[in-house]
Amino acid sequence: MIITAKRDLQELMENIKNYKSFFLIGCSECASLCATGGEPELKAMKETLDAEGKKITGSFVAKTGCQVLGTKVELKPFKDAIAEADCILVMSCGAGTQTAVELYEDKPVYPTNDTLFLGNMTRLQMFDERCSLCGKCILDKTGGICPVTACPKGLLNGPCGGTNEGKCEVSPDIECAWVRIYNRMKRINKLEDMREIAKPKDWSAHKKPMKLNIREKKEEAKK
Amino acid sequence: MSFKNAFDSGKFVVTAEVGPPKGTDIKEMLHHAEMLKGKLDAVNVTDNQSAVMRICSMAICKLLLDMGLEPILQMTCRDRNRIGLQSDLLGASVLGIKNVLCMTGDHPNAGDHKEAKPVYDVESVQLLGIVNSLNNGKDMMGNEMKGSTNFFQGAVVTPEANPVEPQLMKFEKKVKTGAKFFQTQAIYDIEKFKEFVKFARKFPVKILAGIVLLKSAGMANYMNKFVPGIRVPQDLIDEIKAAGKEGALDAGIKIAARHIKQLKDEKICDGVHIMAIGAEDKVPAIMERAGLL
Ligand code: SF4
Ligand code: SF4
Repeated sequence: MIITAKRDLQELMENIKNYKSFFLIGCSECASLCATGGEPELKAMKETLDAEGKKITGSFVAKTGCQVLGTKVELKPFKDAIAEADCILVMSCGAGTQTAVELYEDKPVYPTNDTLFLGNMTRLQMFDERCSLCGKCILDKTGGICPVTACPKGLLNGPCGGTNEGKCEVSPDIECAWVRIYNRMKRINKLEDMREIAKPKDWSAHKKPMKLNIREKKEEAKK
Repeated sequence: MSFKNAFDSGKFVVTAEVGPPKGTDIKEMLHHAEMLKGKLDAVNVTDNQSAVMRICSMAICKLLLDMGLEPILQMTCRDRNRIGLQSDLLGASVLGIKNVLCMTGDHPNAGDHKEAKPVYDVESVQLLGIVNSLNNGKDMMGNEMKGSTNFFQGAVVTPEANPVEPQLMKFEKKVKTGAKFFQTQAIYDIEKFKEFVKFARKFPVKILAGIVLLKSAGMANYMNKFVPGIRVPQDLIDEIKAAGKEGALDAGIKIAARHIKQLKDEKICDGVHIMAIGAEDKVPAIMERAGLL
């Protein structure tokens, strides 16, 4: 899921200091699990803005904020409340924020969160980054542990000189990705595979902005 | 004699490090270089060491070349993508720089520009492969070039890394992609180092033992605690302590010289790389005591 964190309140207040009324949009998926854009957070935001003397014209927790069409339909009943607001605050990820930008072309839209990474939820409200969406997966070569993400340098051919009793030179809080891969390969009897020299990564596999149109692909296949 | 020829001649090779300063005042650095002139087989010029921004290695290599020293261009993958690295390698080549040390490079987190975007588009093993293809007249994509490079390329290895096996696997990869010489992380335990050399001797590469001058017992303790892959044995720390505050640096010089002498006399490896870290003016004294001058 997409991991978000609340932005510094002062920064947010600075962004919206010239507006008086707001419509809030949250998201029931990732942002709810990250406690940045579910019902309780929207409620807290209302209280905060109230205390600052701002007006809330309405609020809604979208089912899936990154789904443009679905969110558009869901927000139809709030047309007036949104029209009344000077500005929309989106309490989900950067993608959700830009859904609102697309839907309300004439309205200022501000994010209340910073969008951090694609995360695995390890326990409730605990998240780890394990995949950084590089576009060409190499997990088949690394025992299923991603060095592109788990190694701060994204090294592909083994540990750097900074590896330290299983920890990473960058921080003792990070397990060295390559020691993890080494241990895993040993365990699954694949250590010999670690001798294979990995070629430089093809970064053109992740050319921004990425796009995927499965529909078009299906139609092409039919032809 | 070129650095490569020095190895080929079978002599005990000695290199040291010159760290480019932050800023344009290079008087002190040139003074150190002048002191080392004629004494070393090559001088290693660091590349924004510890991710602290300084003068680029290539410019200093060229200055040293003009002074009559044999420079080794250190090249890390931290700050340049594959286009930048190859372009700089070609540039270094036309400036007359013949040696290059390929490394991954410390993470920006270690340095004074922590907000920098770490590049690592390629890494040390791959960079060695790139040097190899430039030497063979092609860029890394296989495009023909007008004129090839002729680098003598090396890499680094940490013999005391823990666990050591993945480190040695990487060492082998570096040999396969074209490393001709290796410079090791600082070593202080010669007996342990011999085990590494026994492994490394299976490959057709030259080994320079890393010698870092111990300037105080505090420095030794600090390295033991914070620098991965460095382990200073307690008896050496005691030796420095026994020398007292005044005598610590001298004791460090003595230890370095003693290790170098042993490595040379027992023909354990092909040479040494002396890192005096801020005490570059002490390198001649170390060499003299080791019987190298
Ligand atoms: S290799 Fe790429 S796609 Fe695969 S897990 Fe790592 S970042 Fe994700
Ligand atoms: S210590 Fe391990 S995880 Fe950290 S940068 Fe080096 S190889 Fe990557």
